[in-house]
Amino acid sequence: MNKNRTVQLIKNKDGYGITFNAMASPCEVIIQSMDKPLVTQLADLITNEVWRIEDKYSRYNKLSVCSAINNNAGRSVSIDQETYLLLNFAEQCYQLSDGLFDISSGVLRKVWSFKGDKNETDNFPTVKKINAMLCRVGWRKIHFDQTQIILAKGMEIDFGGIGKEYAVDRAIQVAKQLTQSPVLVNLGGDLAVTSCRLNNEPWQVAIEHPDSNSDSYDNTSTDMIVSLKTGALATSGDARRYLIKDGKRYSHILNAKTGWPINDAPRSITVVAPQCIQAGILATLGLLQGNHAEEFLTEQEIQYWARR
Amino acid sequence: MKKHFKVGFFIPLILSVTGCANLGVEPWERDLLAQDEMSLNASPVDTALDDHIYFSKEASSGGKGFGGGGCGCN
Amino acid sequence: MKNKLEKINVKAVLTIATAALLSTSNPVLANSTKVDTDSSNVSEEGSWDFDSAFLFYSEVDRVSAGEVIINAQKTFANDEILNLKLTVDALTGASANGAVAQPNVQTFTRPSGNGQYTIEAGETPLDDTFHDTRVQLNGQWTQPIAPNYTASGGVHLSKEYDYLSLGINGNIAFDFDRKNSTFSAGFSYFQDTFTPEGGIPNAFSSMLIGDSSSASWDDNFSQTRIDADDTKTTTDILLGFTQVINRRMITQFNYSYSTVDGYLNDPFKVISVVNSETGLTQDNIYESRPDSRVKQSVYAQSLYHFDSSVLDVSYRYMWDDWEITSHTIDSRFRIPLGDSFGKESYLQPHFRFYQQSAAEFYQPFLIDGSALPNYASADYRIGEMTAFTVGLKYGLLVDNGHELSFRLEYYHQAPEDAGFDTPGELKDIELYPTIDAIIAQVTYSF
Repeated sequence: MNKNRTVQLIKNKDGYGITFNAMASPCEVIIQSMDKPLVTQLADLITNEVWRIEDKYSRYNKLSVCSAINNNAGRSVSIDQETYLLLNFAEQCYQLSDGLFDISSGVLRKVWSFKGDKNETDNFPTVKKINAMLCRVGWRKIHFDQTQIILAKGMEIDFGGIGKEYAVDRAIQVAKQLTQSPVLVNLGGDLAVTSCRLNNEPWQVAIEHPDSNSDSYDNTSTDMIVSLKTGALATSGDARRYLIKDGKRYSHILNAKTGWPINDAPRSITVVAPQCIQAGILATLGLLQGNHAEEFLTEQEIQYWARR
Repeated sequence: MKKHFKVGFFIPLILSVTGCANLGVEPWERDLLAQDEMSLNASPVDTALDDHIYFSKEASSGGKGFGGGGCGCN
Repeated sequence: MKNKLEKINVKAVLTIATAALLSTSNPVLANSTKVDTDSSNVSEEGSWDFDSAFLFYSEVDRVSAGEVIINAQKTFANDEILNLKLTVDALTGASANGAVAQPNVQTFTRPSGNGQYTIEAGETPLDDTFHDTRVQLNGQWTQPIAPNYTASGGVHLSKEYDYLSLGINGNIAFDFDRKNSTFSAGFSYFQDTFTPEGGIPNAFSSMLIGDSSSASWDDNFSQTRIDADDTKTTTDILLGFTQVINRRMITQFNYSYSTVDGYLNDPFKVISVVNSETGLTQDNIYESRPDSRVKQSVYAQSLYHFDSSVLDVSYRYMWDDWEITSHTIDSRFRIPLGDSFGKESYLQPHFRFYQQSAAEFYQPFLIDGSALPNYASADYRIGEMTAFTVGLKYGLLVDNGHELSFRLEYYHQAPEDAGFDTPGELKDIELYPTIDAIIAQVTYSF
């Protein structure tokens, strides 16, 4: 696994930008402070924490807790408090979404392969294949408590749906503990702030248009600018991973109960909430409602933007 | 012979240490080890100054690092 | 279809669930410490980190030295590190010349041949000619050369009035098992040239005592000299193994092999030839040591992190072909004081214990009339000796997070009687005086 784990500091007019790579995404932390030793210390604490979470929960890391759990399906694997709390949170999401959000549904990627091809693809799996894989999916087949977890044989769990947002929230905690200076943490588009900027100014965040890297991008589809004073922002969407068949676009969000992509979901949903993990789950839950996404999000009385 | 025994003692110790599969930590457990004070040479300036003093006043040198030459103080 | 009440609960339930998830204290926060570039993730070109230190060393009635170090380090984009160091030290005061104390006044000639000095009765002969200033430059480059392989190479230059040392070193380290284990292998090579004032004395020739202003002095003096200068080379090999034991403990084991060849005498030291019955000095002759020395050592170090304090203990055993063996135990205990005595302050007590056995050819003096051995030296630094150091270091952060520290130590050396018979008057004289020294240091990093 080749990881580039360098951290760069960039000095701006009123603060510093800290850039690094984590969780396969470009990440940045912006702090409104000119205190270089403080900025360096913040950079170290945040990158250590983000990489710590990545090393612990990434399914791409052979040595992670996630891989240890997946490689020992059928046997009891001991877990610590942090992992227990994350599993508990995943459980709550499973219940809230009526089973549509299920972190054991990752194995379905083995029958689906989503790239950004414009061409139609023959990569649609057969119903038989999907049903066979569905036997290996199902939160109810997982048993866990405060000290251990047992997956049924053949199952895998994937923290990908909550890992990045969780890392953002942890990074914000680190920043708040270290300094009063305004800090923004952005891990690949999932971001949060510790407070508003100096002089009570909001942070200006640009949300990328879902089409911004496809050939049909034209100058009229602009990125959206969001003003954020407190809290977090997360985006769920299919900007880079989808399938097209018979002219129809299939999102990479799969219905964990049927094994099929969600029908008629918006291309992307951006949600603002007090914490990043909350925003991320609400955006994902929105997408899982398919064509009822906007209805669902409006009823929840949260701030969101959906693009179709 | 006494000299050979000392070297021989350390080599099995090293081999038995590497043989223990349960030694070591996962990457996410390095919070304490990452601190400056857990570095094997935490104050290189102090070490350099002390090594110079003891090289000048005693018959031994090195061990932690190179002990060779360097100055006319011995 | 869910009713409206159930739908609104999604946000509320999530709020509670999120609070539960993020409520636990973060281990990273509890252990936040000052960061410097040695362990920082931040790699930024164009930024130098400096350590500057001043050390004062002073023995009671003997040598005093001041040493200044300035170390600069810069990390480049791909984890490449350049380290430059400048050291300047100045020495003054008196050192033992190897001759034995006597119940009468003694006169010795200065190493340069220009002038004499006298020693009181009963006093250990000390030569106070030494004031020397030395400048040393080091450069070291370290970089990863493949995943898990790091290489390092460096150069060394040291110049003082009568001594030049040039050296190079190289080292490769290999990490494995999640970087819990590291093997390293390194070598160093030094070439030193000694040009003592007055030239290299003829080993075992008598120290010329007389009037250095007399006409025949220069001729007579130069007959006791064989050369203006001489050289020595030092080659070291170092093998190391580092192992993380658990979250709180890391250990290191090293083996080193060192061979020194060339001129190994101390041209300023003599050994007294005394009468077998009275113990009175008949002659002082220049010492003679072998022209090679092979040293080996094994070293083990362990660091253990308690809740907030850290214990660092190491042991070294050295043995060589001069039959010197030594034990060194060094320990430091770092106690963080929080912010109550200065920002992120700490205290670090230090204790070091050292013991060595005498070189095979070490003798405090020679007996007149006995056959001259192949080699002999009365330099107490290769005699039997026990020494200990106790010290305390205090550090804190000042200004913009820069570290300032103070260190005060007491070093006590006790040369020991290696079992030589003391004839005549020597029985009433202190032949193995102890040496006490104070070490004081200030360091500032910025």
